[in-house]
Amino acid sequence: MKINVAYLKKFAAFDLEGADLKELLASIGLETAETLQVDGQTVLEIEITPNRPDWLSHYGVAREIAAKNSHIRFQPMAVDDVVLTANEKGFAIYIENDADCWRYSGVIVRDVQVGESDLAVQKLLVSFGLRPINNIVDISNLVMMTCGQPLHIFDLERLQGKQIRVRRARKNENIRLLDGRDVALDENFLLIADALRPLALAGIMGGLDSGITAKTRHIFIESACFDPLVIRRASHLLGFKTDASYRFERGMDVAATIPAIKMALLMLGQKKAPFYFQDVYGQPLPTTVVPLAKDYPGRLTGIAIEAETSAAILQRLGFKLQDEGSRWLVHVPSYRVDISSKQDLVEEIIRIHGYEHLQSQMPLAANPLLRIDRERETIQSLKNQLVDVGFNEVINYVFQSPEENALFDPCSQSLSLKNPLGKDFSMMKNSLLAGLLKNTALNANQDLERIALFEIGNAFGLSGGEIHEKKRLAISVFGLQQKKDWRCRELAFDFSYFKSVLVMLGKRLRLEFAFKKHAHQAFVDSCCFAIEIDGRRCGLCGEAKPEFCRYYKLDKPVFAAEIDVPALLREVKENRFQMWKRFPTVRRDFTFLMAKTISYENLRACVERLRPEVLENFELTDVFQGSSIPADMVSFSMAFTYRSGDRTLTGDEVNGIHQEFIKQLVEQLHLIQR
Amino acid sequence: MIDELKKEIEGVKHSFLKEIEQLQSPENFSALKERYLSRKKGVISSLLLRLKEFAPAEKPQAGQAINVFKAFIETTLAGVEEKLTGSRGGAETWHDHSLPASALPIGRFHLIASIKQQIEDLFLNLGYEIALGPEVELADFNFTKLNIPEHHPARDEQDTFFLEGHDELLLRTHTSPMQVRYMLAHKPPFKIISPGKAFRKDDPDATHSPCFHQVEGLLVDRGIHFSHLKGTLEAFCRSFYGPDIVLRFRPGYFPFTEPSAEVDISCFLCSGGRSDCRICKGSGWLEILGSGMVHPQVLRNCGIDPDEYSGFAFGMGIERVAMVKYGVPDLRLLYENDLRLLGQFG
Repeated sequence: MKINVAYLKKFAAFDLEGADLKELLASIGLETAETLQVDGQTVLEIEITPNRPDWLSHYGVAREIAAKNSHIRFQPMAVDDVVLTANEKGFAIYIENDADCWRYSGVIVRDVQVGESDLAVQKLLVSFGLRPINNIVDISNLVMMTCGQPLHIFDLERLQGKQIRVRRARKNENIRLLDGRDVALDENFLLIADALRPLALAGIMGGLDSGITAKTRHIFIESACFDPLVIRRASHLLGFKTDASYRFERGMDVAATIPAIKMALLMLGQKKAPFYFQDVYGQPLPTTVVPLAKDYPGRLTGIAIEAETSAAILQRLGFKLQDEGSRWLVHVPSYRVDISSKQDLVEEIIRIHGYEHLQSQMPLAANPLLRIDRERETIQSLKNQLVDVGFNEVINYVFQSPEENALFDPCSQSLSLKNPLGKDFSMMKNSLLAGLLKNTALNANQDLERIALFEIGNAFGLSGGEIHEKKRLAISVFGLQQKKDWRCRELAFDFSYFKSVLVMLGKRLRLEFAFKKHAHQAFVDSCCFAIEIDGRRCGLCGEAKPEFCRYYKLDKPVFAAEIDVPALLREVKENRFQMWKRFPTVRRDFTFLMAKTISYENLRACVERLRPEVLENFELTDVFQGSSIPADMVSFSMAFTYRSGDRTLTGDEVNGIHQEFIKQLVEQLHLIQR
Repeated sequence: MIDELKKEIEGVKHSFLKEIEQLQSPENFSALKERYLSRKKGVISSLLLRLKEFAPAEKPQAGQAINVFKAFIETTLAGVEEKLTGSRGGAETWHDHSLPASALPIGRFHLIASIKQQIEDLFLNLGYEIALGPEVELADFNFTKLNIPEHHPARDEQDTFFLEGHDELLLRTHTSPMQVRYMLAHKPPFKIISPGKAFRKDDPDATHSPCFHQVEGLLVDRGIHFSHLKGTLEAFCRSFYGPDIVLRFRPGYFPFTEPSAEVDISCFLCSGGRSDCRICKGSGWLEILGSGMVHPQVLRNCGIDPDEYSGFAFGMGIERVAMVKYGVPDLRLLYENDLRLLGQFG
């Protein structure tokens, strides 16, 4: 909304300029977006919140300035002298449904001269950002910018049947609007029509056929108030707004139609009564009355506000007060369509009284029970652990392209946006992994050699029409685990390292992750695992498929995991103290050859199965392949630690147990002892 | 016979490892090596001498056992020697402690996450609980229950992403629907914050992002008033931005609060003293929060009697903090995840 400061001063004689004026407006709630100089005039571009349609005019702003400063008076244009009586018969205004059009006032003015407006008027309109058209149309715009009421002016001779009908459009009716576009109508549109055809889209735009032209001699001026919802729906269907629809859909002052017509007549230089006048106001809207306890403003703001102060502020804003002892009945002026509750009134009082009077107090209210947020703590500890070992957190959008969703899983049903910003952002992501690969590629292009990332966010899916939104933790590594320097050799990331990180995360939560062979579209067949805890799956990991990497132009393998956070959190338990075994340990080593067809996992399972009661722990200490051993074998070295909970084990005792255990192991897995 | 040998080897191995453990100097090392590997009197030699006692059938197995043990002793000793004499073997021990440190990897939290965490921590200290809501939200919770009915002009101000085939759902345009979810499920008094992602259909530019982060706050109890809101936000802003920060409340409009206030803080860089200040551009104020008293209709919509209870709510954008407090010039940079930016924070 553009406010011409000089014009504004006609209606409220204040003497502030520049920053002081902006400050004053801000204290009322009017934010100045920009100060412009238009042809030597100072114009403020003001942001009007949707609750205050009354501010969409110079009157509205002037009224507020006057309310804020008790020494300034709001002085609207004097229009009371304009006579409005009907001289002419044989014309009529009909409203088919009072609910659509709350009030419709109209006048006929004969023998006008269409031409250019005065230069002063043209200059004023330009400062409002409007284009001068001709003296008649310009007047309707000037009235709207002055008092807020949109007018529409018809060429009377284009009206047929000597009548105006406010009615819903019928199917198959059409109208060509002033801007030349044709609109096919239906019952969603409210029309201004004559006896035969549509003349204008009510509250939005006039028709081309009944508009003012150089040849126009007689005019019909419409000043009406429509149901905001009806205008809003129609404007929504059309897909555009006009200055008029913008105002009507926010709610216009039902009492403004007549003063606006008078203003227009005054501007037309029309001193004598018009030829025809009619005001159709079938169901006068009741005045909103809000009871307000006199101490309520103080209670809701927490500061002492005298009853007289509250009353004075409300009165300056145009409210009428009826004193009922401990409370007022507050009569709301018709232009304040935003006021309906006592809280609304308190906002008015504190707004004008000044927000700077608010005190700072801490509420004593407390949650009855302070709960520790275990979930947040757990997630935070995982994040800390990852950051501590050199992983970087990333945050991506929740939407991505259909291709990116398909790279992770072409079969799953994805959730798509109805109105995306573009195809690249049209799907809700089914996994966080594509995002990590994209981020990896961006950083790899900057020649970064070690790229270790993680993200916590939601992934979305559909099954049976139900939407799933699940929190995930995704982790990826690419490039070098360790760069070569004078003391360290170069080490590339591999799956073993990545798995160690995952195991560490599990241990952080005191959970044992098991890695079960799995198949998934996003991962290489030979390196894809389900992460399980006691047989319950909580994630996937492995080496990303070459197609996946190629899509992001990554030339080295990416190892990645995606963990279902709620599934993981469900496994986290509070620990209870357990006494450890206090007797010494005995270690026995064992080196052997094993067929390559047997995996370590088989070996581990076999050890677990045969495990002697006193075997506390076992570790793989070396893995070796080379020319000294058969090509189909691998050499393993393992360390076994024995300990009893109730006695010190003797060397002989352990030897006996160890040898029996090894004998069985050798037999079952056909190991060759070295 | 063979088992006896193996047992003996185990025993020798055990004492060998013990000796290695206790080894102090290179001189002792030579003696140790001599003791085990000397051709004449070495432990291994004496074991090999015993081979002839074995029956022919057992000989190869016994020989292998001894040889494996010999190889074990040799490699272990080689490793120990390297350690004792320096990695390049032989020459005198050389130390240059001015050699550069190896670069151990350092990870970082995303700036947005670390700001979010700081804000959460402050409110947790004030006794608030964290309540998280879904990103795909019911239109009813995102708008209607928050006093933004269908066809309300305020819906225009929040360009909304809708979901294909689910007319009742949308991507939440703010974190405020969590207020609704919490109020429907709990009885006052309560105080919560709800951090998270929100979405608006804005093309990405320096100050807009279709995906952004907010922290929403809500407190409901008997007798809560506007000055409580100011006190709470002042406590937060002074902890977060600096102890001398001044708050300015301005009238504002949010459909779900009444009265509403936009909250500015005094510029923490120049305190309004410099017309060329890069943060406040000379105005002296920074717009950082929207807030207000919970609208009575919102309370009613959530089953809370507005005549008995009142409350306040506030919301702030995390990206805005990144720009204002940390000087990030362009929002898009925060979503590129370039490690050159991420490495600077968190």
